[in-house]
Amino acid sequence: MKNLKVLWTTMTLQMKNSFVRPMFRFCLLANPLVNTILLYEMFINSGQINFINYVILGAGLMGIWSCICFSSAGDINRERWYGTLSIIYTAPADFRLVIIGKILGNTILSLITFAVSFAAARLFFKGNFYAPQAYQFLISFISMILSFAVIAIFLAYLLTLSRKTTLYMNLIEYPVILVCGFVFPVDILPNWVQKISFSLPPTWAVKLLRMSVAGEVEASIFLDTFYKLVFITGIYVIIVILLYKIINKQVRKLGTLEMQ
Amino acid sequence: MQNLIELKDLKREFVITKGWIKRKKEIVKAVDGISFEVKKGEIFGLLGQNGAGKTTIIKMLITLLAPSSGTCKVLGYNTYGEEKEFRDKINFIFGGEMGVYKRLSARDNLKYFANLYYMDEAKANKQIDKLLELVDLKNKADVLVETFSKGMVQRLQIARGLINDPEIIFMDEPTIGLDPLGAKILRNIIRKLKTDGKTIMLTTHYLYEADELCDRIAIINNGHLVALGTPQELRNIISGMNTIEIVLEKVTNETIDVIEKLESVRSVEKADTDKGIKLIIKYLEDADISGNILNSLSGLKILSFNQKELTLEDVYIKLVEASR
Repeated sequence: MKNLKVLWTTMTLQMKNSFVRPMFRFCLLANPLVNTILLYEMFINSGQINFINYVILGAGLMGIWSCICFSSAGDINRERWYGTLSIIYTAPADFRLVIIGKILGNTILSLITFAVSFAAARLFFKGNFYAPQAYQFLISFISMILSFAVIAIFLAYLLTLSRKTTLYMNLIEYPVILVCGFVFPVDILPNWVQKISFSLPPTWAVKLLRMSVAGEVEASIFLDTFYKLVFITGIYVIIVILLYKIINKQVRKLGTLEMQ
Repeated sequence: MQNLIELKDLKREFVITKGWIKRKKEIVKAVDGISFEVKKGEIFGLLGQNGAGKTTIIKMLITLLAPSSGTCKVLGYNTYGEEKEFRDKINFIFGGEMGVYKRLSARDNLKYFANLYYMDEAKANKQIDKLLELVDLKNKADVLVETFSKGMVQRLQIARGLINDPEIIFMDEPTIGLDPLGAKILRNIIRKLKTDGKTIMLTTHYLYEADELCDRIAIINNGHLVALGTPQELRNIISGMNTIEIVLEKVTNETIDVIEKLESVRSVEKADTDKGIKLIIKYLEDADISGNILNSLSGLKILSFNQKELTLEDVYIKLVEASR
């Protein structure tokens, strides 16, 4: 119960803190709006009937990823600047719980990007989002949130080890958008890049989401992709658990929890 | 009396990498074999220059840094490996404007930190009200911290550091940058905490503050312990000398020679100041030489006459300089 309270208060605190930051609001509101317009122009001549679905999903996914990059990862550095990272780390509450709370707060808040891209598509292009397999879409959407959260935790842990978080989060933002197929299918990428793509949970989450809005998809194919996503995400969960043990020692050996 | 903090041959090294192509590793010894204990209920001062190792010691004690070697124990537990056993019983206050969320109100900040210490809501709310009153922020409790002055943020930091009613409080230069009133409030809080039986470890550059508050003081330099004792014990280390400072309109070298030859006088320094010529006379502690000095100065215009006792600052400067 006490841990749930820590998780809940951290989530709400994170939402408050994130939303008041202009950069986060830009990622949350302006970014998906602009991306929806750009993707619409790019997909309009694709010949796909339900291309508006891809536009909304693509813009939403790009938005949620930007929020995760600039918030979940950047928050570690922000806490370091505020001098609060050392306080939350040395408090009796489990540091992992605080990190998870922060990421869940950001991830939930960043779902607004989907609403923005949906509204933008409707308002500017009279586009309608249509998910013929409602249950499959729901499962895909929840899986996508969880897989993104796991990746964000993985990044947040790694970034406690370094003070150069701004550099790294800028470095990974666009490659992940391309490699994980947020906008274009990963099939068009070179083979060696596809190997990287398939090792990242968002790739499978995006695949699953696409299937759920594509129309008639065989349940076995959908389930096969779902299991792959669960498997890859599971591997990341194990890595995150093991990584914390190493990081917990390393941050104190390297002294990276503070600015100096 | 029970030892709550125990340091034995404590060392902490940092590896610094230099260069782009040929990366060179350099090992900096921030703390190099420090040993001391802090007793329950004590206010223990850590004095030293910037970079002496004070903050590194505090960071190891609050479980933020791992020691490179040696013993570092708080409440009988190792600070690296057994930290979960005592983290709820300690807290720390660092000077400056860091350590709080500026986009939250003072109350919301304290509520959040109370949650991190697993405090139940009723107890936390009571403690928050008490602390806001203690640091004189009660009428600003629901105002966003970003609108606070530097001193107010620091006072909120103090409240945050006391949120879990800790047994041991570590304070790293807590009065730095505080206005005189804020510093006085903090000193009063420290005194009150002592009467409540709390143990406090304090670092400060204000030596009068350490002299006034601390039961015992450790002076460290370049990661080494230079001296340890009560303020009086530290004075005794270099005692035996007192100082008289006299400002004169003018003085001749002959007069200075006369003073230098007086029994018990060990040195006379002359300095030109805006107010006149200052003579700094060092003499043996028990000697009564004021009368003789005044006789030597007959006919000269004395602008001021000051008999100074040995201060902690004199002791500190002497010990640190001697340890170089």
